[in-house]
Amino acid sequence: MSSLEAQVAAYLAHRMPEAVGIVVDELGRIYGGSSQETFRFHATWKEGEISIDRRLILRRDATAGLVVAERDLEYNVYRALAGQGLPIPGVYFLELDAKWLDRPFFIMDMCPGKPGSPFVLTDPYDGHGTAIGEQYWSILGMLAAIDYKAVGLESLRNGAAPSGYWALELDRWEAILDENEALIEPAVRGAMRWLRRNPPPEPAKASIVHGDYRSGNFLFTEDGNISAILDWEMCHIGDPLEDVAWGLDPFWPITRHYPLDEGLARWEAASGIALDRAALDWWLLFTAVKACVIWTTAASGFASGKNREMTMALSGIRAGHFHRDLILKMMRTRGAMG
Amino acid sequence: MTDKGMSPKSLSPENLSPGNLSIDNALHGLEEFLRDRIAPAIEDPYVSPMARLSAMVLRICANSVDDAAELRVEENAAIRAILGEAVPLLPASIAGQCHDAATSRDPGLKISILDAENHRLRVLLVTAQAVLEDGIGPAAKALDQRIWQLLETVETKRAPRD
Repeated sequence: MSSLEAQVAAYLAHRMPEAVGIVVDELGRIYGGSSQETFRFHATWKEGEISIDRRLILRRDATAGLVVAERDLEYNVYRALAGQGLPIPGVYFLELDAKWLDRPFFIMDMCPGKPGSPFVLTDPYDGHGTAIGEQYWSILGMLAAIDYKAVGLESLRNGAAPSGYWALELDRWEAILDENEALIEPAVRGAMRWLRRNPPPEPAKASIVHGDYRSGNFLFTEDGNISAILDWEMCHIGDPLEDVAWGLDPFWPITRHYPLDEGLARWEAASGIALDRAALDWWLLFTAVKACVIWTTAASGFASGKNREMTMALSGIRAGHFHRDLILKMMRTRGAMG
Repeated sequence: MTDKGMSPKSLSPENLSPGNLSIDNALHGLEEFLRDRIAPAIEDPYVSPMARLSAMVLRICANSVDDAAELRVEENAAIRAILGEAVPLLPASIAGQCHDAATSRDPGLKISILDAENHRLRVLLVTAQAVLEDGIGPAAKALDQRIWQLLETVETKRAPRD
């Protein structure tokens, strides 16, 4: 066993005192994702006469990620949403004590399937784009339909707010930008002012917002079924149109695989919410602004030396430009350039 | 060294020897070595794509070296010009700062110095534009629109070159 495999085995022994002969192997880091470090591993042990053989995932805090995530948030969301009909992994152990693996982490099931990268020119869904698109919108609608209080998620960010979710989220991202921006970007600041001057209507229903629901953040199987929605680090309570708009962003558009109108109709049917197109337009600009802030944190994390992952540098340079350019195009359609 | 050797023509980029090992030339060489020799030799499924991404970042950096100072000098000049136009439309509380900035010069040609000056000017531009947006009248509106147009130009010039 490698050093990390031995550390994981020791931790499992600590959490499962009834387990005998724990062996951890095939541990390897999974490429992709910059908010947390993700490792796959294989574990075997015996409980009495029963042999257990599991493929598991370890999610560990990054030294500096794309966003500032609450450490136990993703674990708590997975636990709360278990049994709600959403494809999500089962979770087992949350560990906040850094003595085990240097940083907090949790362990969950490794779900079948693979992600479809939105950043490749070939078909990321192996010919299953239509089926994936249908499920994509239905699952997102199901999430919006869940009563967040009933599943115990009122402790999420904004969970106690009666209204004004758009302003709470805009305030949050502006504060993160203030903290991380080395070179001020007037286009992003101008878009933020436009969003404040032209607020959207209150949502028909406050919902659980995944926060990063898009192509690339779910797994699908060979037969074209979405097997797991992942990456819930930015989950909060808010306007469900935030997630709808995020998935439509041209950096990772689900509309590449499934027509917009049919997708929105599926979302409406699953959520029971009538979609306001004008409000969606506000959230599309918000999406570009939020993305710019995330890329700014990536650039800041890399420049400071806290996180030298190359995805951080590339996000800061290339994705940052993409979304500033998108903001400018959106502001032009809003008449900002005359 | 003769006067002939220092003539402007002989200093133009097209007269540089193709054998000049400039910073961008060296970075391109590193990028190619990383992409074509090192990355394919790495078996680790996590480190290998990271090596390829590193090569991409190197290429973007290499392509931004040669005109880095020129781009910043021109951008700073453009922001100063528009801040100067904004002065008559701004309240006295910020008009003075914008006037001073409009008549200022870049304090040096190091990229770090130009970036610091660029940030200072951009902060003033953000402040001025926010005031103009709240202003009444065609002059304020027209200048606000020109600021947005300038931001488009800036973003286009700063686009990463792959």
